[in-house]
Amino acid sequence: MSNPSISVADALLTGTQQRVLALLYGQADRSFFTKELIDLAGVGSGAVQRELSRMLRSGLVVQSLVGNQKHYRANGESPVFYELKSLVDKLLGVPGILAESLRPLADKIHWAMLYGSIAKGRAAASGDIDVLVVSDSLTLEDVYGSVASAEKRLGRAISPMLYSSAELRRRVEASQPFLTKVLAGDFITLLGGMDDLIATGQSGSRRPTQGRATSTGRD
Amino acid sequence: MESRFDLAYNGAHALSLAALRWHGYRSENRYQVFQCLAHTLKLEPLQWRALSQAHNKRNLAEYEGGLDVDGALLDALIRSAQLVLNGVTALGPVHR
Repeated sequence: MSNPSISVADALLTGTQQRVLALLYGQADRSFFTKELIDLAGVGSGAVQRELSRMLRSGLVVQSLVGNQKHYRANGESPVFYELKSLVDKLLGVPGILAESLRPLADKIHWAMLYGSIAKGRAAASGDIDVLVVSDSLTLEDVYGSVASAEKRLGRAISPMLYSSAELRRRVEASQPFLTKVLAGDFITLLGGMDDLIATGQSGSRRPTQGRATSTGRD
Repeated sequence: MESRFDLAYNGAHALSLAALRWHGYRSENRYQVFQCLAHTLKLEPLQWRALSQAHNKRNLAEYEGGLDVDGALLDALIRSAQLVLNGVTALGPVHR
């Protein structure tokens, strides 16, 4: 991998497109009125409206009138609805945005991963997003500060837990119930990897958004 | 470690309650006492988040048993408690 790396989302889509798609295709069953989209996207209203008009004309979104408010929602009838939705979920969904928000701290993070209901694919619309960060130099406040932007974009609270690499190892070796449960279940690697941290022969994938660990039967 | 966590958590709670009462309010709800720090001591969200996370952790421990404290949360909790202490000290005596 060559430097400096950029995210796939940044390579394919402009910032405004990312914000608008993340809202409309990230919550495909929800309709948004124009002002709401503009506020949530946090970019200029002209830019958002240009994007909306293009998406409307291409059939990516549908518009309905509620009173005199224009509501927009993802068009489930679009021939590329499922492909686009899965791309948006992957690039601009919780894992993508979370990984992006942690990237400035990347050189201090050994491993960052998402666990809990979102990683299991049961993305309840409410509830905290659980993140485990392994670092030997960061403080919890650093992590809070870094994920704040993701919280704002996702509109959900993120609950980060920070372990030093020694603490992680100690918990793994002691088969600490919480961590054992997390590692045996579904989790999504956001940054780094656990291979260097835990020598168990367990192969955590390094690919973002697809680190599905297999249980080694260590209960 | 658990005992340090308890001490820091309870200390921070007592101090946060003191800040609330300085302003003439009270609350039985532990979480609200922390939430109000944004107003009572003008703390930034970053500064009291460790308190709310510690609160959740402590609640979970009450229900499920077994408190698992990590160093990062304990350190952040102690820093937050110190900030609250500084804030309460700076409020000065009650005028009423």
